[in-house]
Amino acid sequence: MYPPKTGYVIPDSLSEVIEFLKAHDDAKILAGGHSLIPMMKLRIVRPSYLVDITKLKELHYLDKKEEYKIGATVTHYEVSKAQIPLLSEVASKIGDPQVRNMGTIGGSISQLDPSADYPAALLVLNAKVKIKGPSGERTEEFSLFDKDMFTPDLSQGEVVTEVSIPDVSSYKYSYQKLERKAGDFAIVGVAVLIKTNGDEVEDFRIGVTGVNNKAYRSQVAEEMIKGRKINDEIIDKIAQEVADESNPTSDIRGSAEYKRKATKVMTKRAILDALKR
Amino acid sequence: MKVIEKDDKVKIHLKINGNDYETEVEPRKLLVHVLRDLGFTSVHIGCDTSNCGACTVIMNGKSVKSCTILAVEADGSEILTVEGLIKDGKLHPIQEAFWDKHALQCGYCTPGMIMQSYWLLSQNPSPSEDEIKEGLSGNLCRCTGYHNIIEAVKEASQKLKGH
Repeated sequence: MYPPKTGYVIPDSLSEVIEFLKAHDDAKILAGGHSLIPMMKLRIVRPSYLVDITKLKELHYLDKKEEYKIGATVTHYEVSKAQIPLLSEVASKIGDPQVRNMGTIGGSISQLDPSADYPAALLVLNAKVKIKGPSGERTEEFSLFDKDMFTPDLSQGEVVTEVSIPDVSSYKYSYQKLERKAGDFAIVGVAVLIKTNGDEVEDFRIGVTGVNNKAYRSQVAEEMIKGRKINDEIIDKIAQEVADESNPTSDIRGSAEYKRKATKVMTKRAILDALKR
Repeated sequence: MKVIEKDDKVKIHLKINGNDYETEVEPRKLLVHVLRDLGFTSVHIGCDTSNCGACTVIMNGKSVKSCTILAVEADGSEILTVEGLIKDGKLHPIQEAFWDKHALQCGYCTPGMIMQSYWLLSQNPSPSEDEIKEGLSGNLCRCTGYHNIIEAVKEASQKLKGH
């Protein structure tokens, strides 16, 4: 319950954040605080300083031109109201309302909990992550940024500043989250994007969270259906393939065997739900 | 840039239920403890993992779990607790509805539950039953079984629309 002692930094600009983080390797950025403060309350982490970025206006914006550009400190609630195909639906299913009022997209992807909701969607959306650090700015595919569980591609002094999402308004989509109760992390979460041309599937993308070290896309399943017509048989094959590629662990949310079966079920649901829209 | 060392205290200002408060805190101190220390003991602590919502208050117009916010982070913000809902000795319609519908027993979750209902109805004045359940899913109750809480929020929604 009681966090360990920590210093606290209120920077006036992003460059001050980068400078401070570069000089203090065990300082941590404080965004929404809804992963970091719970970890501090359990004393799992003991940062020397917290660098509060919540008041930096330069990280808080949501623009749409050819693509959506989402500043790192935009909250889940704001994403859920922004009518971004797929991503807004995913954001609305994170945690509970109070969590969504504080938690941010930049914080979620810098934390990279393997059961987080965003990664399944960010993978299928081909999202990009903008990072600023001591040696300047770089942009990384989310799929490469997500190196492993709790392991983002960030070096010392680097900060996620933006997530960009290509416009997929010509796609049907669905995010299906299996959870024990409202507000929980996913047992498994499946995001799909489907573009159809008549009965034929022009593009199909599927991303899965909760059942591996990190979220994954099944390229085998995606290729199975491209250029073909959807029927029950092929949906079953895709779902089986997606489940076969999962590598879940047994924990309080269920056994590995159950989670693999659930992955198949949720994949089917996601595809059928997307097609209905 | 302002740097506060871990053994130092920092002066913060909070506007709580319309009144100004000033206090000194260590950076690690949680907002929930500061609110309680300042006398707002309606703000309860029911867990240490951010699940239960008994500490819910409105901060700058948003419902938040005050156990998962540092007091220093809340510096300069406006906070509403359930103590601030009564106007001229008259209960707020949500408080009235909780009374009418028997939506509390031990009363420990009630302040957080009422503040979350307040935020829910500010965002969605006519929520469906499912939207009420989802809207209160960050608030746990051990006594009521939720049924009467949902009825109370429905009644409060009607009352507030009549205002």
